[in-house]
Order: sequence, then C-alpha cells, then structure tokens
Amino acid sequence: MVQYYEPQRDYGTPAASGGEAVALQIDGIDIEVPAGTSVMRAAALAGVKVPKLCASDSLEAFGSCRVCLVEIAGRRGYPASCTTPVEPGMQVQTQTPALAKLRRGVMELYISDHPLDCLTCPTNGDCELQDTAGEVGLRAVRYGFAGANHLEAEKDQSNPYFTFDPAKCIVCSRCVRACEEVQGTFALTIEGRGFDSRVSVGATDFLGSDCVSCGACVNACPTATLTENSIIEQGIPEHTAITTCAYCGVGCGFRAELRGNTVVRMTPWKDGRANEGHACVKGRFAFGYATHPDRITTPMVRDSIEQPWREVSWDEALQFAARRFREIQERHGRNSIGAISSSRCTNEEVYLVQKLVRAGFGNNNIDTCARVCHSPTGFGLKTTLGESAGTQAFTSVDSADVIMVIGANPTEAHPVFGSRLKRRLREGARLIVIDPREIELVDAPHIRADYHLPVNPGANVAVLNAMAHVIATEALHDAGFIAQRCDRESFASWLEFVSAEHNAPEALAAATGVDPESLRAAARLYASGGNAAIYYGLGVTEHSQGSTAVMAIANLAMLTGNIGREGVGVNPMRGQNNVQGSCDMGSFPHELPGYRHLSDAATRGQFEAAWQVQLDPEPGMRIPNMFDAALDGQFRGLYCQGEDVAQSDPNTQHIEAALSALECLVVQDIFLNETAKFAHVFLPGASFLEKDGTFTNAERRISRVRKVMPPLSGKADWEVTQAFAAALGCDMDYAHPSQIMDEIASLTPTFSGVSYALLDEKGSLQWPCNESAPEGTPTMHRDEFVRGKGYFAITDFVATDERANRRFPLLLTTGRILSQYNVGAQTRRTDNSAWHSEDTLEIHPHDAQERGVSEGDWVGIQSRVGNTVLRATLTTRVKPGVVYTTFHHPVSGANVVTTDNSDWATNCPEYKVTAVQVSRVSAPSAWQARQQQFDRKQRDLLERARTDA
Amino acid sequence: MSGQQIDHLVKMANQIALNFGEQRDLSRAAQCTAEHLEKFWTRAMREQLSAYADAGGEDLSPAVRLVFAGQSDTQGSQRP
Repeated sequence: MVQYYEPQRDYGTPAASGGEAVALQIDGIDIEVPAGTSVMRAAALAGVKVPKLCASDSLEAFGSCRVCLVEIAGRRGYPASCTTPVEPGMQVQTQTPALAKLRRGVMELYISDHPLDCLTCPTNGDCELQDTAGEVGLRAVRYGFAGANHLEAEKDQSNPYFTFDPAKCIVCSRCVRACEEVQGTFALTIEGRGFDSRVSVGATDFLGSDCVSCGACVNACPTATLTENSIIEQGIPEHTAITTCAYCGVGCGFRAELRGNTVVRMTPWKDGRANEGHACVKGRFAFGYATHPDRITTPMVRDSIEQPWREVSWDEALQFAARRFREIQERHGRNSIGAISSSRCTNEEVYLVQKLVRAGFGNNNIDTCARVCHSPTGFGLKTTLGESAGTQAFTSVDSADVIMVIGANPTEAHPVFGSRLKRRLREGARLIVIDPREIELVDAPHIRADYHLPVNPGANVAVLNAMAHVIATEALHDAGFIAQRCDRESFASWLEFVSAEHNAPEALAAATGVDPESLRAAARLYASGGNAAIYYGLGVTEHSQGSTAVMAIANLAMLTGNIGREGVGVNPMRGQNNVQGSCDMGSFPHELPGYRHLSDAATRGQFEAAWQVQLDPEPGMRIPNMFDAALDGQFRGLYCQGEDVAQSDPNTQHIEAALSALECLVVQDIFLNETAKFAHVFLPGASFLEKDGTFTNAERRISRVRKVMPPLSGKADWEVTQAFAAALGCDMDYAHPSQIMDEIASLTPTFSGVSYALLDEKGSLQWPCNESAPEGTPTMHRDEFVRGKGYFAITDFVATDERANRRFPLLLTTGRILSQYNVGAQTRRTDNSAWHSEDTLEIHPHDAQERGVSEGDWVGIQSRVGNTVLRATLTTRVKPGVVYTTFHHPVSGANVVTTDNSDWATNCPEYKVTAVQVSRVSAPSAWQARQQQFDRKQRDLLERARTDA
Repeated sequence: MSGQQIDHLVKMANQIALNFGEQRDLSRAAQCTAEHLEKFWTRAMREQLSAYADAGGEDLSPAVRLVFAGQSDTQGSQRP
C-alpha cells in the first residue's frame, strides 16, 4: 500500500517516563497522561494541535517562541504549553480570542523578517512556519521590509548535502539543541544577542566546522533554513516507505521518501527502535551510490580475466556459471567449490546462499564476511554464555552507570549508538576506554573518560585478565550471582588462574603498556560503580587472541553480576548492517541456522527433511582455508555474493594470487569491485532500496528492508541465487522473501515466531522470538544463561607472533572513519568523500621526527608481507610506537601490509596488529603501481563490454 | 599439498593447543584441541595434519602430537 508523504508526527515535547497518571481536561476533552508530561504533549495526545515553532518531541522543551501559549483555569497569564507540566484537574483552553490575538502578533513579528517567497521556497508545503502562520490566521504583516532585516544574509552551501540559508532563520534554536541533545557534537551555537542573534558554526563554514553532517539540525529546522540539497533540487517527496539502513550494525530505521521511483530523501524513522529518529551522515545522506553510473545492471561473462567482458542474458550467465561449477566438481571433487556471502545482504539472501551450498553444491564450503570481523564473538559468547549474540538492547545503555568501551569507536563506526552513549555520559555515567588510540570519547564536548587505558596493540587479553585479577583478589566480585548463575567448577579453576600473581596489573604492565594504578582504578570502578556495561568492537575480535578476549569480557561481566538485566551486559558492536543476521542464518561452514552444529544429527535431519537432500555432516572451509586450498589447486570455483575480499581481507597479495588461481569466480555485486576484477561471471546485484528482506542489527533486532524502487538489473539478489540454484539442478520455489523467512522460522527455534506479518505489526523484533517470547527478547540471560550455568573460560594471555623488532619497530593498527564505510564501495561513490578522500597514516610526532616525516609527506609502510605508501598525519591520538590507518580506498593497500595471522579459534584475521617500519618515500609502492595498472586494464575490459553491447 | 599449506595448518594447530592451555595442562589441551579440530576443521585439513604427524610431525607442539598419537588419557583423545 502506498504511504503518501506527510511529515512524521511530532508531539512537541518528549514522552515522560513512567510517572503516575494525571487526569486533566484540554478544550473540554478528558485525558490521562503520565506525570511530567507537558500540556503541549497532552494536547497532542488528545488530538488537539497547539501551534508551535521552537518545540519538537526530539528535544527538551525550550519555551522561546511564544506561539504555543494556552490559558489554564485559575492561572493568570498565558503559559507556554511546552514548558508547563500537566497537573491533576487542570482545565486548559488552547483556542480563545485572546490566544489567537497573541499568536497572530508573535507570528507577525517572525514573518516581518522572513522572505515571503513561499511559492518558490524548497520546502513549500512542508514548512512548519508556513503551517503555523496558517493555523494562527495570519493575514497581513504591518511592518514591511524597509527596516533592518536578515533577508540578504548569505547562504552557506559548503556541505554537500544541505544548505544553510540564514535569511529564513527564525532563531528558534532547534538546530542548536538538536546538535547538542540528539547528536552530542555541539557544533552549532547562537551567536550575538537580540536582533544580531544568529545560528553559527564558529569561525568557519559548515563543511569546515565540527559538524558531522548527521542531519539532526536539518530534521529539526521548522523552516527552509536548513534544507537537504536533494529537496532543493527535486522537490518535496510524494510517497514514503519504511526501511532499514544498509550501513553499520546499528540498523537504523529510515523513511525512504520518494518522487516516483527516485529517492529524494532518507529521514530517520522516529519509531525505529534502534535509532529513535536519529541518523548519521552515511544513512541519512549517502544513498546516491544506488543510482551511480558505475552500477552494472547486465550480467557478464568471460573465459579468463585477460579477456573483455561480454554482456549476456541472465539465463546465459547463470548457465555459464553452473556449467563451470559442475565441470569443476566432476574433475576435482565435490569440495572443490564454495561460496562467500556478505553481511551487507539480507537474512533471506544469505540463508539462500548457504542452502545453495549445502543442498546444491553438496558440501559445507560456505563462509561469510563475519569471518573477518566478529567470528570470535560467536565462539566466545557461545562458549561462555551459550548464545552467539550481544545481550542487550541499545536502550539498555540509558540505565548504565559505568560504560566500558574496549576496541570500539562508536562515534565513528556506530555513530547513532555513539550519540545515545554520549547522552548517557552527559547525564553522569562513568566511562572507561581501553584503546591504543585516543578515540573521540576519551575527550569530547562535555565528556571525558574517567580512565583511558592506552593498551598496546595485541594486549587486550592481558588488560582484561589484569582487571579480573584486581576484582577477584580485592573481593569485589558478586559471589551471590556467581553461586546462583555460574558453573562452580569452571569458576573455581578460573579463579585460581586469574588470581595468580602473573595476572596482576604490575606483572603485566610491560605487555599492556598500561599504568597499573590506572588499571586497578578502572577495575574497581567497573566492579563497584553500579550497572556496568561493556561495549566492544573489532579492536577486540581482530587479534590472534580475539576469541580469548571475548571470553575474558564475558568473564568480567559474570564475575561482577553485570549481566541479565537492563543497564549491563556484553555488547558486541557489529561492523556491517547484517553481521548478526548473516551469522544467525547458518553462514559459517560448521553450523546450520540458529548456531547448531552440523554434527547434530537431529538438527541436520530437520533440514534434510525440509530440503529433501542429504547433508554432509563435516565442516566446510573457512574463507582463509578456501584461499589456501585455491593456491594448492584443491579449490577452484567460488560464488562471492556482495563481498569484496580482494580489498577487505588481509595480505592482499595472497588473496589476489588465490583469486587468480580460481577456474571460475562468480561475483554478485552492484559494482565492479576489486574482487570482480578477478571474476569470470558477473551477476548484477541489487541495492537495499531494490529488494524486500530483513536485516538483524547488533542488538538482535530483525527489521524489514522494503523495496522502494525496482531492481535496476531486473532481479533482486534472492531471485538471482534461486535462479543460480535452479541452473545447478537445486530447485527452490520462493515467490517472495517472506516465504524464505517462513522457512527460516520453521527450522530455527530462536526465530520460530518471526514472520513478515508480525514484523509489520511490531516494527521490529529482537530474537529469540518464539513461543516463550512471542514479542522478542530485548535482554538475554535474565534468569539463566542460554547454556544453563555461565562458564568461566580460562583466558591465558598468549602473545601474538607478530612482534615489533628492530626491523619493524612500529605496530600498525587499522580502523574506520565516520564518513566512509568499510571498503568504501558505497560511500566513495557519494559526496561523503568531501570529508575523507584518501586514507592516511596517523603517526605520533616523536616517531615522525625520528624518521624525518612531516605532515602530509608520503611514507612507505613496510611489513613482513608487503608494503604500501600513504600520506602521513602527525597526531598524538596514537601513542609513540603505534601507527594507524583506515582501509576505505583500494589504492591505499592497507591490507597489502596486514598479515595471515589470525585468531586461534576462528581464523579471524589479526588486522589490528602488524609490525611495520615507516619511512619517507617519493613514489607509490610496487603493489600500488601494479594495482593501478590492473585497475585500468579491468576498467578498459569493462568499457569494451559496454561498447560492444 | 604445498609446503606452505601444511606450514599453515601446523601453525594453526599449535596455536589452538597453546590457547587451550598447553603449558598448564597438556592432556586437557590435547583433548580440547582434538575436539576443536573435529568441530571446525574440514576432514581434508585434519587428514593432511594427521599425515604430517604420521611422518614425524617435527614442528607440532606436544599437545598436537598427543592428539594424533592418541596418547591423551582423557575422553576425546581419539584422532579427530
């Protein structure tokens, strides 16, 4: 059903939480609302609209515009309804002759300094000022424009996504307050007083300011002062659809706003439980990649990567791929082919790919990109708690008293959750940051970490063990919780282990690089500061001891009883939009959907019965196993859906050699990504705007993805996989992704209650969602752990083999930046590159000085496996001995330098620790020169396909 | 099978044993390593490592040797 465009409903002030019901009467209508509710909100809930300008339910009441005045029986004057809380028995009048006169007078003053260009204004028809003028019956402005005014104020068009037109500003402060209260950046202020008051971004323009382009100010603006450029260029949308962002693991709900099939705006959905109306620069603005000219929309094939591509029909491409795969299996055995699926794809899509592999290929060679990010989370949390998932909802942080962030950078990588977290910190929660770098949270506006432990890369386990040592030896643990909820035997062994002197902060100081006293103080705070919650990211998992670190985190939470209720828990910050979902859907080679091991005959039997095929009970190859086997000639065919392993996986030259060794590489993607340049078959993919499905975010929240435009290639990704399966003789018969979800629900106990109908009704659901929890499970392990008793795993600190030495004296660690997303395939094709057009190497000034390196110099980064060249950025955010870079641009070759080292339990690559040397250079590396040549050649081969077509 | 691949398998197996506490409890580490290989490694990888162990397995750590020698005295010590 088409949802015609209308602004999202605004109740004027935020909801009051949980107070006693207060009964009052508004314009003769009886209503009960929680104590603490404003009169304005109560009126809105009663269906009475009070005119307003400076109020919005995403912001605290401000009381400045004087438009929302009301009369209250027994009170003198005309109180502002936004700042007046309800009281029992109150009798409110919102429409009286006196109020009408007052409001018209106020509006007349506003409009006296506002251009009267409504017909040509970009927000004509979607402007609160215009609406309010109409509501109060303003018919004339007596003052004229002869006097001083702001109508000639210059526009700021520096931001690529929105324009600031101060001539239209009414100085309601909504933008300033949104930047403070919602985003927490404090980039905006009101400068000057009286007539001179104006919104300011400091001494510079928007692009050059601290503004992070989250769009909260644009959302909040009641006029056309802050307007999306897409609206200025294309007009007001005419219909909308609710969908889910395809960027990070926060999984924000969005309203796609369209004209025809063209998305003109993405606005954060106020009812989206993950984001509650907030967004970041990626989800809010960086959707233009979906219609970028680089999109490939016709299937292509070629016999070798030296040949030009040939555009073919869907049928020819799929038959070509199927024939090649079957021939490979006939010659080299059933296990010689496999697939890699992506966390960028929907649950339904990745479910189909693993089904194709298990039922169609006849093996278990299916892996997902979570291999290279959060596979240690799956292993570590399954071992200790019994379920491979985070324990909380995002809203849980609102009840946290102590927040420990380790190996995560939420304000850059999970910005909408980062804003929520910052809000809680401004309210007074304490903060521990464990990170080699001084991330933004360490020292941000109105936030300062109580403890920043600048751990040496590779020493997380040592720090976590030392914290546990302090808590255990100082008897700060929760003995009652442990006795009731945890496995006695494992706790006893672990307690003996962790209490040993070699785990003391002082004994581990050389390894950790952390001041023992600070570490002790941080441990005491975590154990005794009230509700303590741990948030961690890839800075924990992407190590040779990633799984150990995850288990050490779970140990800390169990040790202190900080699990199983609101405000606490163990929270993995998932990198991509559907990391959790792709893992849930059986995308790992050893387990079926719902994290059930292949060796479980009963589970296997259920799938065999449903799919009418016998399944191999043996684990299949992981991604690195596939590449090793490819180089060995044992693995020759790969179907890669939505994943760019050539750029994202470590030791690029090793990956390139493995991809070059394949006889048939089938890539399904929206662009000719780095991996596709090695492919023989290209199957055009669909962006998240072109298909139906679901994503599951970092808090286990399943949300609908809705098709808002037809697939540019004619097929959604699930249809492509189904057609590929059919070409291989593996029949699937789905007419819609909802049927795939129905099958998932029928075979997966934690999903048994999930259906599209329920998702449409509830908006989203957090699994487990089944008979025991029909509306989902925001907090896990409430009464008991999924595994029964919590298991304390012994977490020996086994240092990585990747050590700094005289030849490679620095440790390189990698991460992300706010404006770009992973390999950058999407964000590099948007104006987000205005903020980050190249990856640079952060180096401490001391290390730079020793090497004669100045700001902006080209520097070579040499590791044991390769070298690349980047520009240097001198900063004290990294400590001496540590250098840092991002990996958003292919030419940067950050992964040319990273090694094959991986997590002992899961083979998650050790991206976060690479010993390197850095030196000034004047030319790109040999790999970069080769890469650019190869890139040019492959683009030329693509162009020839298009020219020939 | 290339030398590079068997080197990689040996390195991974040794790493698993070490992280299962080989230096604290050899027998238990061998048991856990055996279970881990059974659960997460392909049959082909296990067979390659087994063949390497049968050929002397000089670079295997003590716990991994124990896995393939069937010398662990605890449950699960059988070959993966």
